[in-house]
Amino acid sequence: MLLELDRIQKRFGGVTALKNGSCTVKAGEVHLLMGENGAGKSTLMKIVAGMIAPDAGEMRFRGQPVRFRNPAESAAAGIAMVHQESLLAPHLSVAENIFLGREERHPLGWINRRDIETRARRLIERHTFPLEASALVGKLSPAGKQMVEICRAVEQGSSLLIFDEPTSSLTESETREVFRIVQELRLREVGVIYITHRLEELRSIGDRVTVLRDGETVHSCMLNELTTDQLIQHMVGRAVNSLYRREPLPPGDEMLRVDGLSSDPLLKDISFNVRAGEIVGMGGLIGAGRTELCRALFGIDPIDSGVVQVGGKRVHIRSPRDAVRAGIALVPEDRQRAGLAIELGIAQNVTMASLRSVSNMGFLNLRSERMLTTEHGKRLRLKYDSPSQLARRLSGGNQQKVVIAKWLATKARVILFDEPTRGIDIGAKMEVFETMDELARSGAAILMMSSEMSEIQSVADRILVMRQGRIAGELPRGASQEDILRLAAFEEKVAR
Amino acid sequence: MIQRLLPFATLVALFVGLAIASPHFLTGPNLSTVIRQTTVINIMALGMTLIIISGGIDLSVGSILAFGGFMGTLAMQKGYSIPVAIAIGIAAGTMCGLLNGTLITRLKVNPFIVTLGTMGIYRGMTLLISNGLPVHEIPLKFAFLGSGTDRFGIPIVLWILLVCAIAMHIVLEHTRLGRYAFSIGSNPEAAFYAGIPVAFNITCVYAIAGGLTGLSGMIEASRLMSGQPTAGQGYELQAIAAVVIGGGSLRGGEGTVLGTLVGAFIMGLLSDGSDLLGINPYWQQVIIGAVIILAVWLDEVRKRRGVS
Repeated sequence: MLLELDRIQKRFGGVTALKNGSCTVKAGEVHLLMGENGAGKSTLMKIVAGMIAPDAGEMRFRGQPVRFRNPAESAAAGIAMVHQESLLAPHLSVAENIFLGREERHPLGWINRRDIETRARRLIERHTFPLEASALVGKLSPAGKQMVEICRAVEQGSSLLIFDEPTSSLTESETREVFRIVQELRLREVGVIYITHRLEELRSIGDRVTVLRDGETVHSCMLNELTTDQLIQHMVGRAVNSLYRREPLPPGDEMLRVDGLSSDPLLKDISFNVRAGEIVGMGGLIGAGRTELCRALFGIDPIDSGVVQVGGKRVHIRSPRDAVRAGIALVPEDRQRAGLAIELGIAQNVTMASLRSVSNMGFLNLRSERMLTTEHGKRLRLKYDSPSQLARRLSGGNQQKVVIAKWLATKARVILFDEPTRGIDIGAKMEVFETMDELARSGAAILMMSSEMSEIQSVADRILVMRQGRIAGELPRGASQEDILRLAAFEEKVAR
Repeated sequence: MIQRLLPFATLVALFVGLAIASPHFLTGPNLSTVIRQTTVINIMALGMTLIIISGGIDLSVGSILAFGGFMGTLAMQKGYSIPVAIAIGIAAGTMCGLLNGTLITRLKVNPFIVTLGTMGIYRGMTLLISNGLPVHEIPLKFAFLGSGTDRFGIPIVLWILLVCAIAMHIVLEHTRLGRYAFSIGSNPEAAFYAGIPVAFNITCVYAIAGGLTGLSGMIEASRLMSGQPTAGQGYELQAIAAVVIGGGSLRGGEGTVLGTLVGAFIMGLLSDGSDLLGINPYWQQVIIGAVIILAVWLDEVRKRRGVS
């Protein structure tokens, strides 16, 4: 047995990322690691790669108990990770990246470029990669970068390679190339752990599969013992989120209408509508284009073609300013980066997008600003000491409420929520759902992007599913998670 | 909180210390000198406060000071009245700031680089127009601006500084422009997402700072009673230092008028004190340099503690 993971646990603050991560990998096998977003796959692999330390549990490598304190220790033991997003130095050449940090020692710190390039070339030839040893890594395609990472791993003499969703950013032919490499590694008795979301690609590559759900290993077996439907069931589990269920309203007038929207490079021909009082859930895998759709609708990325209508009127959105004026609001995925000025006070954040309404001839009316903040704070049940308290001092859920309050203050009619519950605890999640419900009740049209299917299921009145930049289909309220996952993960034409 | 008050405490300690150490310190003429010497930097630093709060920086203010002062004195030489000449000096500074802001927002180039470039451009333009020669034909009455006192013996420049400081405080705390400057400096992405007209406000910020620097240029010209094309060299760093010592953050979103005033006066007292105590003037630069690093380090310590 190459790698044995036994009941690995990891908590981040108050959130349990892994309760029971168990898995065994043999030399010469391709082991698939599957699970929904947030199931704990990446956390488990980061522990194996020494990027984070486990809280409890045992890890054995080649039969020896190990505990890696940093990636260098894990690499020295023979474990390498090919990352979803490349961790290479873009301004250095392919050869320099392959040998980075492990150059031949020379008393003067001199690096023999020619030697490195020759060795890199030999390595590349052995794998018959379409790579040029002297090319700059920054100019390579995502697949090219992965090949460099693979060369790097092989050069280190790694006996276990971890691929974290390697094909999520690759084209079809690049995907085939990665598959070929994985097959070759298997023949060379290297162990491979392969994380993927894509149901259609696993049969062509994997030997065994381990399924994680909510931080726990729920199933582990040979891949051919399992039908795809069984696999989906293991991933989703029976537990349907029963904590929250929204009573839908009779929908009102059409508030947002999108016809044939396209935005390079991902979004193609997207059409849908959202009515007043309605919460429409948008599901899909990571990289399906949900965040991109938010960005396009909010004027951050340019819309190449298509028509957007708000409240029956066509709007031209070229900047967030246009979007705000048209009555669109965005509660962004990464609220600390894009939603909040954490070093400023709550009141300053709440009125950021509607400062005109609390000012006169350019001068602020601080009293009405405080009143507005108190009013929205009360409505959202925001827990805070005073309007001048710094946003940084609030909990994640309360920060989210400040972002929502900012848009309430603009009286936006269309509200886009991008992963509204990411990084907040269950209690705060319920409150965010209640807030969304209340917003809908007061006449707003809500589009919620979420990769947590249970969340969409319990909150949305209608469900749209995105796949590779298109709307793959629409499901009614109450559709099962299996239905959503099937739409999200399968190609119409199965790639072979 | 204690550390937030540190600049004030330092200023008071310096003041008391100098009053004890030197009998000449607490005299009218000496205090007037300190005020006159500090005001030019101080008024520039007020504009710099606004810029730094918005997340920017302006290295060209030393050159703008020379350009504004030179254009104003040139106007007087050509026979314009003193108030008109002062207005021309301020307008010239405003134009420079406007150009800085426009370049930064239109070209989307880092303000450090843009103003590093315009620092050379404005200085070069001033030297080209003047042919390197100062303007001396200035009406004697013009001296009142930099050296005059009111009937109680208080320097006019102190009143000018006070008016500018109060105005800047109002801009920062009570106007949309000031609030937008804080928002943009604190989180430019969130500001953009909130629909704030970022480019317009940034341009305004640099224009206002340019105008204040133009005024400083006129005060400097009045103190020297000439329009020197080489005036103000190195002033930009003193203005930045005043803001930073007073608690402004080069990462944006932080800074106060009071802090900047205190910062400028700390530097003023340090150099005045060194003179009075007969400390080698070369040491002054060492001391001020160390104070800048110390002030920023203490501020970092305070913030790191706040985060954890």
